[in-house]
Amino acid sequence: MSFDPDLMPLVPALRHWLIVIGGLSAAAILVSLLSMLVIHGGKCLQLFADEVQGFLTDLVSISIRRVFALAKLTFMEAYRRKALLVFVVFALLFMFAGWFMGNDGEEITKPTVKLYISFVLRAITWLTLPLMFILSSFGIPEEIRLRSLHTVVTKPARRLEIVLGRVLGFTALGSLVLVVMSVVGWIWIVRQIPADARSMLICRVPVRGNLSFKDRNGQDVEKGINVGDINEFRSYIEGATKARAIWTFSGIGENSLDSEGNLHIENQFMAFRSYKGDMNRQLLFDYQFRNPEKNITYTTQAWPIVEKRGVTKAIPRKLEVPSEGKTYDLIKDFVTSDGNLIVEVSCIDREQYLGMARIDLFIRLPDQNFAVGFFKAVFGIEMIMILVVLMGVCASTFLKGPIATALTFILFILSGEDTHKFMDQLIGGKSIKDGWQGGGFFESIYRIVTHMNPTTDLPANYAFTIMQGVDWVLTFFLWTCKQVIPHLKYFNMQEYVANGFDVPFDQSLGPCLLITLAYVLPCVLLGFFALRIRELESK
Amino acid sequence: MSLSGPSTDSVIQIRNLSKVYRDFWGRPKVKALNALTLDVRPGEVFGLLGPNGSGKTTTMKLLLGLLFPTEGEIKILGKSAADVGKNERIGYLPEESYLYRFLNAYETLDFYGRLFDMPAAKRKERSEQLLDLVKLAPQARHRQLKEYSKGMTRRIGVAQALINDPDLVMLDEPTSGLDPLGNRDMKDLILDLKKQGKTVLMCSHLLADVQDVCDRIAILYGGELKVMGRVDELLKAQDETQILSSKLSPEAIRDVEAVLKKHGANILKVDQPTANLEDLFLKTVQESRERPGHRTVKEGTAS
Repeated sequence: MSFDPDLMPLVPALRHWLIVIGGLSAAAILVSLLSMLVIHGGKCLQLFADEVQGFLTDLVSISIRRVFALAKLTFMEAYRRKALLVFVVFALLFMFAGWFMGNDGEEITKPTVKLYISFVLRAITWLTLPLMFILSSFGIPEEIRLRSLHTVVTKPARRLEIVLGRVLGFTALGSLVLVVMSVVGWIWIVRQIPADARSMLICRVPVRGNLSFKDRNGQDVEKGINVGDINEFRSYIEGATKARAIWTFSGIGENSLDSEGNLHIENQFMAFRSYKGDMNRQLLFDYQFRNPEKNITYTTQAWPIVEKRGVTKAIPRKLEVPSEGKTYDLIKDFVTSDGNLIVEVSCIDREQYLGMARIDLFIRLPDQNFAVGFFKAVFGIEMIMILVVLMGVCASTFLKGPIATALTFILFILSGEDTHKFMDQLIGGKSIKDGWQGGGFFESIYRIVTHMNPTTDLPANYAFTIMQGVDWVLTFFLWTCKQVIPHLKYFNMQEYVANGFDVPFDQSLGPCLLITLAYVLPCVLLGFFALRIRELESK
Repeated sequence: MSLSGPSTDSVIQIRNLSKVYRDFWGRPKVKALNALTLDVRPGEVFGLLGPNGSGKTTTMKLLLGLLFPTEGEIKILGKSAADVGKNERIGYLPEESYLYRFLNAYETLDFYGRLFDMPAAKRKERSEQLLDLVKLAPQARHRQLKEYSKGMTRRIGVAQALINDPDLVMLDEPTSGLDPLGNRDMKDLILDLKKQGKTVLMCSHLLADVQDVCDRIAILYGGELKVMGRVDELLKAQDETQILSSKLSPEAIRDVEAVLKKHGANILKVDQPTANLEDLFLKTVQESRERPGHRTVKEGTAS
């Protein structure tokens, strides 16, 4: 997962969701109609209309009392079948974790704090998710096997209510597990860290800007200099030239200042020395605030960078320029009419370089309580858990327990960012129209076997046309799967907390919530439909 | 759905109902039911009889929507078998009481009451009534069902079937797993339901039970309907006459025989009637309750 994911494009995402849901619904209706035509012949339209009517009747006849009854039953079932024994494993883990992660009386460092936080959040994740995988995937199949579901469906309980009840029940159980574990985990973290070191449990609230560059001649460029580092994440500006890294922050106002009227700017730059220079001090940088509307600039004093740890500077609201006898107001004079604040960074040392990326400089708003960030990260785990429950319950309506668990697990694995990138590579781009180099499955095999270069055109005949057609179908299937499988890049909130940041709503919390909600409707409807057309007593 | 036939006021109408079980590939495997047509009228106790595999339970599951018919039509309480709304007025006791074993008796009835959207006060009141009705011991009511005997599970199964005060009660092998006392209670309950005007459809292969409580029966064999009608009419021996009197002396018997012979009767059997085993068992248990310690068989008697 990227620590600094893109903002979720809301409207395109919604449009994409509607297209995928619409497309799959249309495909399901077409397949149903064709199946009915084959089985029932001319009566298929009437039967289909009856089914649709029954489907809609079930949809509008939901009883909240029945749904909650089924949810409560699901909760009690898991509880009385000792599902909460997971707490014992959790307790054991934390009883002995101190042995292996204790600092043996040494001074607590930031990496140690990060380790504690990561350990707790990962332990919660990897104890909760497997439990929910198994419970949600085995619930309905077990009820069908034991036939206790038969007694329920012969009451006025609709299949939709059964699916909803299951989802709600498992979600409630998982939430209870998460709440207990996260509270215990939080207490454990706080207790592991001595009182005098608890200031390291921070939750910084960053305002991130957009980054652009100017080269040594002051010309706008897309990126800075590459100093030969294979990792192109950061690019560099040259010292004592017109080279600048320019951050533009939006939405800056008086509420961005602390109680004493200071604006806090934090950076963590990398140094690249082209010669040894003064090794007793770090490279120097300064900030310049610029307002192009008023054509004014204010340059701060020079400060040394602090590599790997970062440095926060409090910029006072009143910026005095003794040489000019002027005093600027940081907010009134430097925030433009559209609410932007431009901060330029320059390197002071001649022929030395400072490396930076977008996330390396941010305006730091007053910190949140660490607990706020921690429990936001737990919320991220909760969202993943709900997705697992939705997929598990949905799969369990048409598959047996072990197969449903396997399917849910595979879907979960495929939801990772790396897997999505791999699928993108296989598809040949984000759109199937982009095509792919070297062909699809069969064409690639042909090219490998015949040692044919990927750029060489295939012979023009029917056999190759058919082969490419089959490849296109397979790729289309993979493309469809990619559209349906969740993408969890926004869900990993642990990194924020472990690195001492608050979890941003627009980059993480909001997208997670929306993605989870996006899966509620299709999963519940698919589960309902699968259960409705299923003969529970089929032999 | 349009059903042909005169019995439009029947509680259950089945027309040409067939069910074929298929394998994974859709090939026919077993024809469990073949063109079944029957009606169940309001207020009667109707028995479906037949040996194992004759299609009794399949019929019941088709009626309840647990299976889908291959052919034919069903109307139950005026609605299609696929209509969940029909279940509002139906109580169903499955062959085995497939209940949630981790719930206790109160929780079980409360759960099923919620499925009927019953308010909490009514659920509580109804649960108490039903647990008394099925004679589940008070001390057992807070125990999880997994600790219950088969008979106790059956009783709670009956209670859940009646939680909604149904108009139609469907009982699959209702006396299965019950001791003779429970068996008698169950039969009394069925007759009581009939008195309340409920319609009861039961299937069983215990013929004595069916004979005791059913108004009409249908006998299935190999998925086909073989016999259907009123129990008393079906069992009546048309060419024999039975006279039952208090005990007669040998002389009186000889006189009666002489009179019958004079009228050309062929006397088949003159005997003292015997009680059935169920009556004997119930009488013994009743006496034991009333006179604790009393023995009919002397102590030490081996045979």
